[in-house]
Amino acid sequence: MKLAVVGKGGAGKSVVAGTLARVFARRGDRVLALDSDTMPGLTYSLGVEPAGEPLLQAAAEKNEAGRWRTRKGIGPVRAVQRYAQPAPDGVLLLQSGKTTPEGMAPVMGSVNVFYDVVQRLRRAPYFRDWTIVGDLSAGPRQSAYRWADYADTFLLLAEPTWKSALTARRIARIVRSRGGVTVLLVANKTRNDADAATVGEMVGEPVFGWIPSDPAVVQAERKGVPLLDHAPHSPAARAVEQLAERLSSH
Amino acid sequence: MKIAVAGKGGVGKTTVSGTLARALARSGHQVLALDGDVNPMLGISLGVGPEETDRLVAARQALDGGRLGHEPTAAGLVDKFGTDAPDGVRLVVVSRIDEADPG
Repeated sequence: MKLAVVGKGGAGKSVVAGTLARVFARRGDRVLALDSDTMPGLTYSLGVEPAGEPLLQAAAEKNEAGRWRTRKGIGPVRAVQRYAQPAPDGVLLLQSGKTTPEGMAPVMGSVNVFYDVVQRLRRAPYFRDWTIVGDLSAGPRQSAYRWADYADTFLLLAEPTWKSALTARRIARIVRSRGGVTVLLVANKTRNDADAATVGEMVGEPVFGWIPSDPAVVQAERKGVPLLDHAPHSPAARAVEQLAERLSSH
Repeated sequence: MKIAVAGKGGVGKTTVSGTLARALARSGHQVLALDGDVNPMLGISLGVGPEETDRLVAARQALDGGRLGHEPTAAGLVDKFGTDAPDGVRLVVVSRIDEADPG
């Protein structure tokens, strides 16, 4: 399964993506986690020390026109073998460069290589049996510009607010317009039984799963540690485990 | 006073912006609220309503689409593409992404 986790800022994309990746790995899958966001996020939820210089920068070079391109001989397989970082439970993490105090310029090479690699992933037979979990940046932009072409399934996260629901609606429309993808709505931060149904109505999609509002997630995020390490038996962690199970049998 | 509100997704930029805009308008300022997010939601925090916010036309797309004549001045853009929000705030959506491969 090739998943992309999408939704509005604050919907819980990184926590869900990071937890899901590790749950899949614990179940025996070979898992590649992809962090497309140029803001930090997935590393904390996954449990990887944030790198200084982005590793993928070494795979970038400038062409004659001064534009960044991927160095010769670096395809998706080699990029993952050389530049992905080991994460807990055997997950491999490939990440785009993060914005710096000097802006994006120092890491643009890595961003370009990352985009190139994720575009080519779908056609790489090497990853056919892998599970991929991609954490996209907030909102519709990366979905619109094909940052998740590898995905056969978009996990659409929404919390019970109109901003979150309208964002989910827009993203669903954009990713469906290309065809050949499954969109699954997950209601996050639900406070009671009715909330999940409410999210479904607001977004206009059937609810595939839900994750309850859980102080353990807030605490884990505050500390910058993975939910699975901070509170493995919390309601939210359990809900993500169930989600992984449902996704596997979907 | 010209204020830009920035931060990571989910920290509350839109809620703070919308509330600040209305508070300033109530204390007598003429307020222009600019929604610079390509996923514009400021209308919701200002009180325009979710469905109405979802229908707002962005200045960028309106100009690109040629639906309205080219409007060279900033004041003209605010006038043509703006929406009235509560407390006299004028809301303008700069740009939005609603389709794949927007160019």
